[in-house]
Amino acid sequence: MKNLFNELNQAALQRETRRHFLHTCTTGLGAMALSSVLGSCGFFDKNEATTAANQTGGPGTAPRMPQFSPKAKRVIYIHMAGSPSQLELFDYKPELVKYHGKDCPQEFLEGKKFAFIRGVPKMLGPQGKFAQYGQSGAWVSDYLPHLQTVVDDVTFIKAMHTDQFNHAPAQLLMHTGSARLGRPSIGSWVTYGLGTENDNLPGFIVLASGGKQPDAGKSIWGSGFLPTVYQGVQCRTEGDPVLFVSDPSGMNRDIRKQTINAITEINRQEYEQVKDPEILTRISQYELAFKMQMSVPEAMDIKGEPQYILDMYGVIPEEGSFARNCLLSRRLIERGVRFVQLFDWGWDTHGTSADGAIDIGLKHKCKTSDQAVTALLTDLKQRGLLDDTLVVWGGEFGRTPMQENRDGQTLPFMGRDHHLDAFTVWMAGGGVKQGFSYGETDEIGYYGVKDKVHVHDLQATILHLLGFDHSTMTYQFQGRPFRLTDVHGKVVTPVLA
Amino acid sequence: MRSKTIALSGLIAVLGLSSFSLLGVFDEKVDFNTEIKPLLNKHCVTCHGGVKKAADYSLLFKHEALKPGKSGKPSIVPGNADASEFIRRLTLDDPEERMPKNGHPLNDNEINLLRQWIDQGAQWGDHWAYTRVERPALPKPGTFWSRLGITRSDETTWIKNSIDYFVVDKLRSGPGETTNGLSLPQKSFLHPSPEADKTTLLRRVSLDLTGLPPTEKQIADFLADKSPNAYETLVDSLLASPAYGEKWTGMWLDLARYADTKGYERDPGRKIWRYRDWLIKAFNQDKPYDQFVIDQLAGDLLPQSTDDQLIATGFHRNTMTNDEGGTQDEEFRTAALIDRVNTTWDVFQGTTFGCVQCHNHPYDPFVNDEYYKYMAFFNNTRDEDVTSDTPKLRFYTGDDSLKVLQLTQWVKQHATTPQQARASTHQLMNFVRVIEPKVNSHDFDEYINASLLDAKYFGVQHGGSARIKNVTLTNKNRLIIAWGTKAENAVITLRDGGVTGPVLLTLPVPKTGNAWKDTTQIFTLPELSGRHNLYLSLNSPKNPKDWTMIKWVSFQSALPGQSPNKLDAVDADLAAVLNATPDETPVFWEGTGDLHRKTQVFERGNWLVKGQEVKPDVPNSLPPMPKNYPRNRLGLARWMVSREHPLTARVLVNRLWEQLFGQGIVETVEDMGTQGIAPTHHELLDYLSVEFMETDKWSVKKLLKRIVLSATYRQRSDVTPEMLEKDPYNKYFARGPRVRLAAEQVRDQALAVSGLLSTKLYGPSVMPPQPDGIWQSPYNGESWKPSQGEDRYRRALYTYWKRTAPYPSMVTFDSPSREFCQVRRLRTNTPLQALVTLNDPVYVEAAQQVACYMLAHGQTPEQRIQAAFRRIMLRDLAPRRVTVLARLYRTTENHYRQHPDEARKLLARTDATPQEAALTVTANTMLNLDEVITKE
Repeated sequence: MKNLFNELNQAALQRETRRHFLHTCTTGLGAMALSSVLGSCGFFDKNEATTAANQTGGPGTAPRMPQFSPKAKRVIYIHMAGSPSQLELFDYKPELVKYHGKDCPQEFLEGKKFAFIRGVPKMLGPQGKFAQYGQSGAWVSDYLPHLQTVVDDVTFIKAMHTDQFNHAPAQLLMHTGSARLGRPSIGSWVTYGLGTENDNLPGFIVLASGGKQPDAGKSIWGSGFLPTVYQGVQCRTEGDPVLFVSDPSGMNRDIRKQTINAITEINRQEYEQVKDPEILTRISQYELAFKMQMSVPEAMDIKGEPQYILDMYGVIPEEGSFARNCLLSRRLIERGVRFVQLFDWGWDTHGTSADGAIDIGLKHKCKTSDQAVTALLTDLKQRGLLDDTLVVWGGEFGRTPMQENRDGQTLPFMGRDHHLDAFTVWMAGGGVKQGFSYGETDEIGYYGVKDKVHVHDLQATILHLLGFDHSTMTYQFQGRPFRLTDVHGKVVTPVLA
Repeated sequence: MRSKTIALSGLIAVLGLSSFSLLGVFDEKVDFNTEIKPLLNKHCVTCHGGVKKAADYSLLFKHEALKPGKSGKPSIVPGNADASEFIRRLTLDDPEERMPKNGHPLNDNEINLLRQWIDQGAQWGDHWAYTRVERPALPKPGTFWSRLGITRSDETTWIKNSIDYFVVDKLRSGPGETTNGLSLPQKSFLHPSPEADKTTLLRRVSLDLTGLPPTEKQIADFLADKSPNAYETLVDSLLASPAYGEKWTGMWLDLARYADTKGYERDPGRKIWRYRDWLIKAFNQDKPYDQFVIDQLAGDLLPQSTDDQLIATGFHRNTMTNDEGGTQDEEFRTAALIDRVNTTWDVFQGTTFGCVQCHNHPYDPFVNDEYYKYMAFFNNTRDEDVTSDTPKLRFYTGDDSLKVLQLTQWVKQHATTPQQARASTHQLMNFVRVIEPKVNSHDFDEYINASLLDAKYFGVQHGGSARIKNVTLTNKNRLIIAWGTKAENAVITLRDGGVTGPVLLTLPVPKTGNAWKDTTQIFTLPELSGRHNLYLSLNSPKNPKDWTMIKWVSFQSALPGQSPNKLDAVDADLAAVLNATPDETPVFWEGTGDLHRKTQVFERGNWLVKGQEVKPDVPNSLPPMPKNYPRNRLGLARWMVSREHPLTARVLVNRLWEQLFGQGIVETVEDMGTQGIAPTHHELLDYLSVEFMETDKWSVKKLLKRIVLSATYRQRSDVTPEMLEKDPYNKYFARGPRVRLAAEQVRDQALAVSGLLSTKLYGPSVMPPQPDGIWQSPYNGESWKPSQGEDRYRRALYTYWKRTAPYPSMVTFDSPSREFCQVRRLRTNTPLQALVTLNDPVYVEAAQQVACYMLAHGQTPEQRIQAAFRRIMLRDLAPRRVTVLARLYRTTENHYRQHPDEARKLLARTDATPQEAALTVTANTMLNLDEVITKE
């Protein structure tokens, strides 16, 4: 079985070397075989069309079937870059209150390595006020007053753990399954596996907010060794939403249309003469580019959204923001984008500044995101999209129950250091339980003690929900099959609906 | 056979031969490599191979396969398939017992083949790529008949050089066995194509050899040259052009994972462009490939290595380093080390060695500890993921270089023997030029009230101390230290053997303003011999919380003529030079003595779990390293380029072939192992490899010339329905290459044909315009500052390469991000590429320039379109296509006549005319035609 899969991959690699991004638009090659029936690609005679279709059987971005019947068809992955403190938001630890301000017991420090804590730090009690909400009685703090109202749609995974305590490697591990640069991101894997369900937008779109790129840069939505068609395309809220999507100043749509027509006509003549099927792909790519010039700005333009929707998300029309990105993610999902990745920078609360204080900066970050995230869940639900859209929320690691004492010094604000042994991630929609909490940490939230979930397990679970077995969804590269979860990962079946 | 003169008897003989083999009269010997090994790989080795050895049985190596498995029954009995448990298990009915377990049973043909092989003695063969390259005989061209002079063969007249013999032979036989002309006079599988027309060929070979369209002079010379060797003359001139070196450097930069930043989170800048310039020069000088390899892997170990040879070692200093707070240097040093081992294999050996890090290779004949033996060659370099990226070669100028000269003069004058002069000069120059040997302060231990500041450099507070362990102090009477503090009157005490041991030195810490600023100072060191543990402690009562930071320490000997216990003007000069801030470039430097590292196996690939110690060596399945080669990188590099090595030449030949034809003879350029795709023209690959090593003495230019002079390369590239059906991907080369231009070529061509391209060679990387907001690395204040003047229009390979945010249009056209070595770019065809060439301001500007050219060349739109096309493609545009563009021009001009403000916007000039705007639109269209962005 495994060998068969390898063979398939090898064959796919051979094909992909030459041809990608086959497309389902009426003039695209993916539809070429159909076109002879439907007659939508007027300028090819039947024989040519069939020949071309025979040449282009490789996987591009045309929709494909997963390995088994999926619960989720698309994903919105909300990554809070920098890592929010689970101890202020979800993982309620009344015991930690008692230790507040006391020296950290030596047994917690032995054999431990921290990014910044040196010597003996003090313990730091939770700063949020916790209560239970919903039918499910989920613990949430007063930092997230909106999310409190939708906890019955959410599964909290509370004993997450990772291997990396620095941002870049931990983000890479979270999104590519490896702490080193160069592997495909989960969004790339998913579009590689499932293709895209739209004919005028990329299948994997990235939206970033918070003023900075994530620490690991564009590599966390890179396609690694997968063909570049599967890389995430960043849509920006300032400048061109997609790079170079705007026509040059002084060239209007009509002129652009005429240039595309001229290119198509000459390329068609070229094809008639040279018969290289690659030319057909190029023709369809230019037509798609022309469509994208309209559809990307259209998808990214929220002017058509009614005021009550803007209010629900808390979007201020002329402003790029996390809230706007949440709304955009719904618009993109509606238009058939397979994987939308949101990054919001600024969750790294060390206590070195007010922005990075867990009682100031973190509260502020919550304030600017809570309403929008909640609105997204509500909006998706109202539109019947939450059933088959998986929403994932989390950082790249957790934060320590100790107060950070960078270089052994007392810091001006309350902060927590990076922590790899315990953090919370939540999921909602597409095939996960509603109103469920999985896993427990110890009494101070330092280690998972029950139902621990590793990053690779989370990835295996996401792929499972999309209809893929993470252990056999591989890609042949440099002589061996690679997969998102490396050689690890186990589907967390208890969270499945 | 040849003596047969009568056609009829020849026919009978041929018929006879074929039917004999059909009847099995010549009992066919089963070939392990082509027939058995693929079966074992497909069905068996996943469980019984290098990774998993189910039932303690493996089929990877012969000795493992012949020994009994857990059942104790002899698995393979050579010469007796019936007695072999291996065969029995394949043929059982019980699915629990039958192999492959949980898999489909083998079919009868496969089992018979395995039987036959065992009955014939179960001979193990080595994979083709791991056996010595031997010169194959040239296949015979033409048909049996044409060789007899009975018929005329098109093939014989088509052939231009020896490459074509191999290609024609394959074209005749197709996917089956080559026939060497002995087949029945039947139809060939495919026929080669005629030579492409002169201008198409000119553009193709120019793009291939120089990455640029030809210059006007090259065009004129070639078209005017009516001599039979006009093409060869052209090729020679292209090979001699400086652009040649730039083009092939572009290819090599992917392999070297060259970038202008260090990678990881902060991804800060790194100045290593001198390595890129070294490559350009090396290609242009046609440095023999063996020397090219040696310089890059071991230039620092060559006797009397030159600056150039040191710069060449930048190849492996392109590994990423991590400056993020809290990261451990040793972890990322190890990551870089592993990357070097893997990259060395990927680039030079076309073999995936990375697997062997954790376990035996699942398919190829490499075992786990061989990885670490190989790693031991690379484990002694002095780079240790320190933020300063040392060791770096320093380029002194002005007064500083004068001081360096004076220092060497001093040594010459005061050395008592020539040996001493040599040794001391060597020591001095090493220190002055690369500041090695030294101990990086992250190696200090036994911290008290001390810490690695931001996990980078050693810091200590009042009352704190640490140990510098195990340093040899014989004849060392100088301590050189790079350090600083903000504190007043901080004093470091250096003791021998313990924190309370005898005091060696008491040193005031220089007040540099803050602990992150360091200065380098020299002190005399009391005479000691042998190895010592030194302890340093800080007394800084005035500012007890202020850190004193130490970057590194070095223990040196005074120069000849200097007093061992008194500093003098020579020390002052040396200190001045060390504190200078000249240009630098990262290089390899070998650690010896105290700084020598031992290499241990990482258990299951985990660098934190160290196993047995290993010594440097090469894998057993490759030829052994000659006894007289040093067991270091230099020996390793020499071994790699020895005539006996089966991979190095093949891998390069295959890579160059891929660059020219769009596809390698072995398609998986990155993997020539058993999991790679088998070569389409094995004999051709070997033939070219032997020629490359023996005849051409590793000259890359000669190899390229040999290939581009072949009729195979010169063919037309259009596709016939027959070709499309039988060979859609042109594996058999019945037509010329037709592939989209590479990322660099797309940009360079647009700049070249619009007259914008700068031909300036070398120098620091440049920042041509890119959209705002691409660079947003956290904790990094660097920004993209658009270059001015001609630096805006340099060739793509000079564009500043930031790993976490590479130049967007390059990545859209399949450039890798250069985090790791990428051996092969997969070509894609996406709408984002169309958006780049349609709308990226670089291409709009190019179109504006082409419009200027059009305006000056012709009166009618048709003439101008034709002139521009000729400039871009060197040939005429078919009249039908001119009509399309002229129509576009006229409607556009009409539009701009009615909207002159839009014309002004498009040209970004207030005096822009509708005519210019329409020409710009037309040029923009032309630059996007398939034929323009394709190498035909």
